[in-house]
Amino acid sequence: MVATAIDNAALFDVLSSLADNKHLLGRRYAYWSNGAPSLEAAVAAAAMVQDELGHARTLYPLLEQFAQGQADPQQLDPMTRDTRYRVAALDHEFAGWPDLIAANFLLDTALTTFFAAAQNSSYEPLHARAPKVLQEERLHFMNAEGWVARLANAGGAVRAHLVAALAPWWKESLCWFGPDDDPAMRRLYNDGVIDVTPDTLRSRFLAAVMPVLNRVGLEEPVEQDAQGEWRLTHALPWAQWDATTRRLG
Amino acid sequence: MKTAAKQSAATPRRAALNETRVWQVYARQKYDEPLHEIGNIVADDVELAKVYARSIYDEFPWIEMTLIPRDSIVTVIAS
Repeated sequence: MVATAIDNAALFDVLSSLADNKHLLGRRYAYWSNGAPSLEAAVAAAAMVQDELGHARTLYPLLEQFAQGQADPQQLDPMTRDTRYRVAALDHEFAGWPDLIAANFLLDTALTTFFAAAQNSSYEPLHARAPKVLQEERLHFMNAEGWVARLANAGGAVRAHLVAALAPWWKESLCWFGPDDDPAMRRLYNDGVIDVTPDTLRSRFLAAVMPVLNRVGLEEPVEQDAQGEWRLTHALPWAQWDATTRRLG
Repeated sequence: MKTAAKQSAATPRRAALNETRVWQVYARQKYDEPLHEIGNIVADDVELAKVYARSIYDEFPWIEMTLIPRDSIVTVIAS
């Protein structure tokens, strides 16, 4: 008996974005596994490669369950996909180690924020995968946190390179959650797939990254309100953001 | 994104990133065996040291792993 296909474009698009971003993160990390500043950093990067590719491998098969996926089977295999649901900053190889760290610190943490909101998901495949993803992402964040501090505290050109590397990932990561009225994320929230709205996801993300940036003296256009919630003090470039592929430009 | 720190004198990137602090790694697979040295890693930051130890020494399902900075080890009898 053939299972009935799920007709849910919102969930399909977000799962596609999660899968594509993790697949490309793994591939981009892999390139720099050989060019890391130290042997230890290279091994840690290689471990992250395995984790990210593994996460992507558990997400792509879910797309087959959707009517949107069955309409174009070629898009279900990462090796034959030509749709790009990844953030634009992943379109090219990292220019240097600080770029890897910026992606690790910002985009990876943004995706982890989503999985944390899906721990009690009404969509069983996400509910089942979230604990393992979150467990593995703990080391990823520790790696990013340590390297952001090292690069920032090194000063001079090294610090400047980090600052320049963080900028594009900052906007992409914040935009990935969508505006607070983003139809896809709102539907996921209303259906119980995730437990909070886009603005709260963004606030949780900022709560994770801002203490690290503050410790090394990197200023951001954000502030904490009376309840301790982090909020942006600048507008995001929504006019340049594609709500289906969840990317800028 | 703005920086709050002063610009220090230019430093070669590799030299600025070289890590020098050595940590001895101890671990055990079972509760009835003692912690024993399994190797070492180099990291100047304790959080990165934890990441590196977990990433490099992942060949066994350790139940406990500990890091000790080599520079904190006190020799009582030198070999």
